[in-house]
Amino acid sequence: MKSVVTTVVTAADAAGRFPSQNDLEAVQGNIQRAAARLEAAEKLANGWEKVTREAGDACFKKYPYLKQQGEAGSTQTKVDKCYRDLGHYLRLINYCLVVGGTGPLDEWGIAGAREVYRTLNLPTSAYVEALTYTRDRACSPRDMSPQALNEFKSYLDYAINSLS
Amino acid sequence: MLDAFSRTVISADAKNTAIGSGELATLRNYVAEGNKRLDAVNAITSNASCIVSDAVTGMICENTGLIQAGGNCYPNRRMAACLRDGEIVLRYISYALLAGDPSVLDDRCLNGLKETYIALGVPLQSAARAVSIMKASSTAHINETNTTGTNPDETRFRKMETVQGDCSALVAEAASYFDRVASALA
Repeated sequence: MKSVVTTVVTAADAAGRFPSQNDLEAVQGNIQRAAARLEAAEKLANGWEKVTREAGDACFKKYPYLKQQGEAGSTQTKVDKCYRDLGHYLRLINYCLVVGGTGPLDEWGIAGAREVYRTLNLPTSAYVEALTYTRDRACSPRDMSPQALNEFKSYLDYAINSLS
Repeated sequence: MLDAFSRTVISADAKNTAIGSGELATLRNYVAEGNKRLDAVNAITSNASCIVSDAVTGMICENTGLIQAGGNCYPNRRMAACLRDGEIVLRYISYALLAGDPSVLDDRCLNGLKETYIALGVPLQSAARAVSIMKASSTAHINETNTTGTNPDETRFRKMETVQGDCSALVAEAASYFDRVASALA
Protein backbone atom coordinates (compact mmCIF):
# COMPACT_ATOMS: atom_id res chain seq x y z
CA MET A 1 0.00 0.00 0.00
CA LYS A 2 1.28 3.40 -0.99
CA SER A 3 2.80 5.51 1.76
CA VAL A 4 5.98 7.54 2.15
CA VAL A 5 7.92 4.59 3.54
CA THR A 6 6.80 2.11 0.89
CA THR A 7 7.48 4.63 -1.89
CA VAL A 8 10.99 5.22 -0.59
CA VAL A 9 11.66 1.49 -0.23
CA THR A 10 10.30 0.72 -3.70
CA ALA A 11 12.58 3.35 -5.25
CA ALA A 12 15.61 2.10 -3.32
CA ASP A 13 14.84 -1.48 -4.26
CA ALA A 14 14.46 -0.63 -7.95
CA ALA A 15 17.95 0.88 -7.85
CA GLY A 16 19.28 -2.01 -5.74
CA ARG A 17 20.72 0.24 -3.07
CA PHE A 18 20.47 0.57 0.67
CA PRO A 19 18.19 3.33 2.05
CA SER A 20 20.15 6.55 1.47
CA GLN A 21 20.38 9.69 3.59
CA ASN A 22 17.72 11.25 1.36
CA ASP A 23 15.40 8.31 1.92
CA LEU A 24 15.85 8.50 5.67
CA GLU A 25 15.13 12.23 5.64
CA ALA A 26 11.95 11.72 3.62
CA VAL A 27 10.79 9.21 6.23
CA GLN A 28 11.76 11.55 9.02
CA GLY A 29 9.69 14.35 7.49
CA ASN A 30 6.75 12.00 7.30
CA ILE A 31 7.20 11.01 10.93
CA GLN A 32 7.35 14.61 12.07
CA ARG A 33 4.00 15.35 10.48
CA ALA A 34 2.48 12.14 11.80
CA ALA A 35 1.27 13.57 15.12
CA ALA A 36 -1.41 15.72 13.46
CA ARG A 37 -2.58 12.83 11.25
CA LEU A 38 -2.84 10.42 14.14
CA GLU A 39 -4.72 12.98 16.22
CA ALA A 40 -7.24 13.48 13.43
CA ALA A 41 -7.59 9.70 13.01
CA GLU A 42 -8.23 9.24 16.70
CA LYS A 43 -10.79 12.05 16.95
CA LEU A 44 -12.57 10.77 13.86
CA ALA A 45 -12.66 7.21 15.23
CA ASN A 46 -14.10 8.49 18.52
CA GLY A 47 -16.87 10.45 16.82
CA TRP A 48 -17.30 8.11 13.87
CA GLU A 49 -20.92 7.10 14.49
CA LYS A 50 -22.05 10.65 15.19
CA VAL A 51 -20.24 12.07 12.18
CA THR A 52 -21.75 9.38 9.95
CA ARG A 53 -25.24 10.06 11.22
CA GLU A 54 -24.97 13.83 10.80
CA ALA A 55 -23.58 13.44 7.28
CA GLY A 56 -26.43 11.14 6.27
CA ASP A 57 -29.05 13.41 7.83
CA ALA A 58 -27.62 16.36 5.92
CA CYS A 59 -27.85 14.53 2.62
CA PHE A 60 -31.47 13.43 3.08
CA LYS A 61 -32.34 16.95 4.25
CA LYS A 62 -30.94 18.51 1.10
CA TYR A 63 -32.38 15.83 -1.23
CA PRO A 64 -35.68 14.75 0.40
CA TYR A 65 -36.84 13.31 -2.95
CA LEU A 66 -34.43 10.43 -2.35
CA LYS A 67 -36.95 8.87 0.01
CA GLN A 68 -39.75 8.89 -2.56
CA GLN A 69 -40.98 5.79 -4.31
CA GLY A 70 -38.46 4.45 -6.83
CA GLU A 71 -35.57 6.60 -5.62
CA ALA A 72 -32.29 5.46 -4.03
CA GLY A 73 -33.64 5.80 -0.45
CA SER A 74 -37.21 4.57 -0.95
CA THR A 75 -37.10 1.96 1.83
CA GLN A 76 -35.51 1.95 5.27
CA THR A 77 -33.12 -0.78 4.12
CA LYS A 78 -31.85 1.47 1.34
CA VAL A 79 -31.53 4.42 3.69
CA ASP A 80 -29.53 2.28 6.11
CA LYS A 81 -27.21 1.30 3.27
CA CYS A 82 -26.63 4.96 2.50
CA TYR A 83 -25.53 5.57 6.08
CA ARG A 84 -23.40 2.45 5.92
CA ASP A 85 -21.62 3.68 2.80
CA LEU A 86 -20.92 7.05 4.37
CA GLY A 87 -19.49 5.19 7.35
CA HIS A 88 -17.25 3.30 4.91
CA TYR A 89 -15.95 6.53 3.42
CA LEU A 90 -15.21 7.95 6.84
CA ARG A 91 -13.53 4.72 7.90
CA LEU A 92 -11.32 4.83 4.79
CA ILE A 93 -10.47 8.45 5.57
CA ASN A 94 -9.50 7.28 9.04
CA TYR A 95 -7.17 4.73 7.39
CA CYS A 96 -5.73 7.38 5.06
CA LEU A 97 -4.96 9.56 8.06
CA VAL A 98 -3.14 6.64 9.69
CA VAL A 99 -1.17 5.69 6.57
CA GLY A 100 -0.46 9.29 5.58
CA GLY A 101 -1.48 8.76 1.96
CA THR A 102 -4.55 8.19 -0.19
CA GLY A 103 -3.84 4.46 -0.63
CA PRO A 104 -6.86 3.09 1.30
CA LEU A 105 -9.33 5.48 -0.35
CA ASP A 106 -7.88 4.77 -3.78
CA GLU A 107 -7.86 1.01 -3.44
CA TRP A 108 -11.03 0.36 -1.47
CA GLY A 109 -13.18 3.43 -2.01
CA ILE A 110 -12.60 5.01 -5.39
CA ALA A 111 -11.49 2.20 -7.68
CA GLY A 112 -14.64 1.02 -9.44
CA ALA A 113 -16.97 3.29 -7.45
CA ARG A 114 -18.16 5.22 -10.50
CA GLU A 115 -19.10 2.01 -12.32
CA VAL A 116 -20.89 0.61 -9.28
CA TYR A 117 -22.92 3.77 -8.71
CA ARG A 118 -23.90 3.93 -12.35
CA THR A 119 -24.98 0.30 -12.42
CA LEU A 120 -27.00 0.60 -9.23
CA ASN A 121 -28.40 3.97 -10.35
CA LEU A 122 -27.18 5.79 -7.25
CA PRO A 123 -26.71 9.58 -7.23
CA THR A 124 -23.14 10.60 -6.36
CA SER A 125 -24.31 14.13 -5.59
CA ALA A 126 -25.90 12.80 -2.41
CA TYR A 127 -22.55 11.46 -1.21
CA VAL A 128 -20.90 14.73 -2.18
CA GLU A 129 -23.44 16.66 -0.14
CA ALA A 130 -22.93 14.43 2.89
CA LEU A 131 -19.14 14.66 2.77
CA THR A 132 -19.21 18.41 2.08
CA TYR A 133 -21.43 18.85 5.12
CA THR A 134 -18.92 16.90 7.21
CA ARG A 135 -16.08 19.01 5.88
CA ASP A 136 -17.80 22.33 6.58
CA ARG A 137 -19.14 21.21 9.94
CA ALA A 138 -15.73 20.20 11.32
CA CYS A 139 -14.02 23.07 13.10
CA SER A 140 -11.05 23.75 15.28
CA PRO A 141 -10.45 23.71 18.21
CA ARG A 142 -13.84 22.15 19.02
CA ASP A 143 -13.19 18.94 17.07
CA MET A 144 -9.41 18.76 16.72
CA SER A 145 -6.30 20.92 16.44
CA PRO A 146 -5.86 23.13 13.32
CA GLN A 147 -3.16 20.92 11.75
CA ALA A 148 -5.20 17.78 12.36
CA LEU A 149 -8.26 19.45 10.88
CA ASN A 150 -6.26 20.41 7.82
CA GLU A 151 -5.23 16.79 7.25
CA PHE A 152 -8.79 15.54 7.82
CA LYS A 153 -10.30 18.05 5.40
CA SER A 154 -7.77 17.34 2.68
CA TYR A 155 -8.83 13.67 2.58
CA LEU A 156 -12.51 14.65 2.64
CA ASP A 157 -11.82 16.90 -0.35
CA TYR A 158 -10.05 14.06 -2.08
CA ALA A 159 -13.11 11.82 -1.64
CA ILE A 160 -15.47 14.63 -2.73
CA ASN A 161 -13.45 15.30 -5.87
CA SER A 162 -13.44 11.64 -6.80
CA LEU A 163 -17.26 11.55 -6.60
CA SER A 164 -18.05 14.82 -8.34
CA MET B 1 4.45 -4.06 0.58
CA LEU B 2 3.29 -2.76 3.94
CA ASP B 3 4.71 -0.57 6.67
CA ALA B 4 3.77 -0.32 10.33
CA PHE B 5 0.90 2.03 9.47
CA SER B 6 -0.60 0.13 6.56
CA ARG B 7 -0.32 -3.13 8.53
CA THR B 8 -2.66 -1.60 11.13
CA VAL B 9 -5.00 -0.50 8.34
CA ILE B 10 -5.15 -3.99 6.81
CA SER B 11 -6.04 -5.62 10.11
CA ALA B 12 -8.63 -2.93 10.96
CA ASP B 13 -10.21 -3.33 7.52
CA ALA B 14 -10.54 -7.07 8.07
CA LYS B 15 -12.53 -6.28 11.22
CA ASN B 16 -14.46 -3.50 9.46
CA THR B 17 -13.66 -1.00 12.21
CA ALA B 18 -12.06 2.42 12.32
CA ILE B 19 -8.62 2.68 13.90
CA GLY B 20 -9.05 3.95 17.44
CA SER B 21 -6.89 4.87 20.39
CA GLY B 22 -5.75 1.32 21.14
CA GLU B 23 -4.02 0.66 17.83
CA LEU B 24 -2.85 4.26 17.57
CA ALA B 25 -0.80 3.85 20.74
CA THR B 26 1.63 1.46 19.01
CA LEU B 27 1.87 3.77 16.00
CA ARG B 28 2.51 6.76 18.25
CA ASN B 29 5.35 4.72 19.69
CA TYR B 30 6.74 4.18 16.17
CA VAL B 31 6.56 7.95 15.64
CA ALA B 32 8.11 8.78 19.00
CA GLU B 33 10.94 6.30 18.43
CA GLY B 34 11.29 7.34 14.79
CA ASN B 35 14.69 8.96 15.07
CA LYS B 36 16.10 5.92 16.84
CA ARG B 37 14.82 3.75 14.03
CA LEU B 38 16.42 5.96 11.38
CA ASP B 39 19.71 5.90 13.30
CA ALA B 40 19.48 2.11 13.44
CA VAL B 41 18.92 1.87 9.68
CA ASN B 42 21.79 4.27 9.17
CA ALA B 43 24.05 2.17 11.42
CA ILE B 44 23.38 -0.85 9.23
CA THR B 45 23.62 0.86 5.84
CA SER B 46 26.77 2.82 6.71
CA ASN B 47 28.53 -0.38 7.70
CA ALA B 48 26.92 -2.70 5.20
CA SER B 49 30.04 -3.89 3.40
CA CYS B 50 31.83 -4.42 6.70
CA ILE B 51 28.91 -6.44 8.11
CA VAL B 52 28.59 -8.57 4.98
CA SER B 53 32.26 -9.29 4.41
CA ASP B 54 32.81 -10.12 8.08
CA ALA B 55 29.89 -12.52 8.05
CA VAL B 56 31.07 -14.32 4.92
CA THR B 57 34.64 -14.42 6.23
CA GLY B 58 33.42 -15.85 9.52
CA MET B 59 31.34 -18.45 7.73
CA ILE B 60 34.38 -19.55 5.72
CA CYS B 61 36.73 -19.55 8.73
CA GLU B 62 34.42 -22.02 10.43
CA ASN B 63 34.19 -24.19 7.33
CA THR B 64 37.34 -23.78 5.21
CA GLY B 65 36.15 -26.43 2.80
CA LEU B 66 34.03 -23.72 1.20
CA ILE B 67 37.02 -22.05 -0.49
CA GLN B 68 38.86 -25.20 -1.48
CA ALA B 69 38.46 -26.54 -4.99
CA GLY B 70 34.93 -27.91 -5.25
CA GLY B 71 33.69 -25.79 -2.35
CA ASN B 72 30.73 -23.51 -2.78
CA CYS B 73 32.76 -20.30 -2.44
CA TYR B 74 35.35 -21.46 -5.00
CA PRO B 75 36.33 -19.93 -7.43
CA ASN B 76 36.12 -16.13 -7.05
CA ARG B 77 33.01 -15.96 -9.15
CA ARG B 78 31.06 -17.97 -6.62
CA MET B 79 32.63 -16.12 -3.69
CA ALA B 80 31.44 -12.88 -5.33
CA ALA B 81 27.93 -14.31 -5.66
CA CYS B 82 28.01 -15.19 -1.99
CA LEU B 83 29.02 -11.66 -0.96
CA ARG B 84 26.38 -10.23 -3.25
CA ASP B 85 23.66 -12.40 -1.72
CA GLY B 86 24.74 -11.39 1.77
CA GLU B 87 24.38 -7.78 0.78
CA ILE B 88 20.95 -8.39 -0.76
CA VAL B 89 19.65 -10.07 2.38
CA LEU B 90 21.00 -7.26 4.54
CA ARG B 91 19.45 -4.69 2.22
CA TYR B 92 15.99 -6.19 2.51
CA ILE B 93 16.40 -6.40 6.27
CA SER B 94 17.25 -2.69 6.30
CA TYR B 95 14.05 -2.00 4.32
CA ALA B 96 12.02 -4.05 6.78
CA LEU B 97 13.57 -2.22 9.72
CA LEU B 98 12.80 1.13 8.10
CA ALA B 99 9.20 0.15 7.40
CA GLY B 100 8.72 -1.53 10.78
CA ASP B 101 7.15 -4.51 9.03
CA PRO B 102 8.62 -7.70 7.54
CA SER B 103 6.35 -7.88 4.47
CA VAL B 104 8.94 -6.39 2.07
CA LEU B 105 11.52 -8.93 3.26
CA ASP B 106 9.05 -11.81 2.89
CA ASP B 107 7.68 -10.83 -0.51
CA ARG B 108 10.80 -9.69 -2.28
CA CYS B 109 13.61 -11.68 -0.71
CA LEU B 110 12.57 -14.80 1.18
CA ASN B 111 9.76 -15.97 -1.09
CA GLY B 112 11.32 -18.92 -2.94
CA LEU B 113 14.84 -18.24 -1.65
CA LYS B 114 15.22 -21.69 -0.08
CA GLU B 115 14.01 -23.43 -3.24
CA THR B 116 16.42 -21.37 -5.36
CA TYR B 117 19.35 -22.22 -3.09
CA ILE B 118 18.47 -25.91 -3.14
CA ALA B 119 18.26 -25.83 -6.93
CA LEU B 120 21.62 -24.06 -7.18
CA GLY B 121 23.26 -26.37 -4.64
CA VAL B 122 23.98 -23.58 -2.14
CA PRO B 123 24.47 -25.08 1.35
CA LEU B 124 21.59 -23.72 3.44
CA GLN B 125 23.38 -24.25 6.73
CA SER B 126 26.30 -22.06 5.66
CA ALA B 127 23.95 -19.36 4.39
CA ALA B 128 22.05 -19.41 7.69
CA ARG B 129 25.35 -19.19 9.57
CA ALA B 130 26.37 -16.07 7.61
CA VAL B 131 23.00 -14.52 8.38
CA SER B 132 23.42 -15.24 12.09
CA ILE B 133 26.83 -13.53 12.07
CA MET B 134 25.27 -10.56 10.29
CA LYS B 135 22.64 -10.52 13.01
CA ALA B 136 25.26 -10.39 15.75
CA SER B 137 27.25 -7.59 14.14
CA SER B 138 24.21 -5.58 13.02
CA THR B 139 22.70 -5.59 16.49
CA ALA B 140 26.09 -4.53 17.85
CA HIS B 141 26.18 -1.67 15.34
CA ILE B 142 22.68 -0.56 16.34
CA ASN B 143 23.59 -0.74 20.03
CA GLU B 144 27.03 0.73 19.34
CA THR B 145 28.64 -2.08 21.28
CA ASN B 146 30.69 -3.10 18.25
CA THR B 147 34.42 -3.61 18.83
CA THR B 148 37.42 -4.37 16.68
CA GLY B 149 37.36 -7.90 18.07
CA THR B 150 40.57 -9.87 17.74
CA ASN B 151 41.93 -7.53 15.11
CA PRO B 152 43.03 -4.20 16.67
CA ASP B 153 43.81 -2.76 13.22
CA GLU B 154 40.24 -3.13 12.03
CA THR B 155 39.23 0.31 10.74
CA ARG B 156 36.43 -0.41 8.33
CA PHE B 157 33.48 0.06 10.61
CA ARG B 158 32.32 3.45 11.74
CA LYS B 159 31.29 4.10 15.31
CA MET B 160 28.08 6.12 15.11
CA GLU B 161 28.25 9.23 17.24
CA THR B 162 24.67 9.15 18.40
CA VAL B 163 23.53 9.67 21.97
CA GLN B 164 23.38 6.43 23.92
CA GLY B 165 19.84 5.38 24.76
CA ASP B 166 17.64 2.36 25.20
CA CYS B 167 17.47 0.62 21.83
CA SER B 168 16.45 -2.79 23.16
CA ALA B 169 13.08 -2.79 21.36
CA LEU B 170 14.66 -1.89 18.03
CA VAL B 171 17.46 -4.40 18.47
CA ALA B 172 14.89 -7.10 19.20
CA GLU B 173 12.94 -6.08 16.11
CA ALA B 174 16.03 -6.15 13.90
CA ALA B 175 17.04 -9.51 15.36
CA SER B 176 13.60 -10.89 14.53
CA TYR B 177 14.12 -10.03 10.85
CA PHE B 178 17.44 -11.91 10.78
CA ASP B 179 15.76 -14.84 12.52
CA ARG B 180 13.07 -14.70 9.86
CA VAL B 181 15.71 -15.21 7.18
CA ALA B 182 17.29 -18.05 9.13
CA SER B 183 13.97 -19.84 9.57
CA ALA B 184 13.10 -19.33 5.90
CA LEU B 185 16.32 -21.19 5.03
CA ALA B 186 15.83 -23.94 7.60
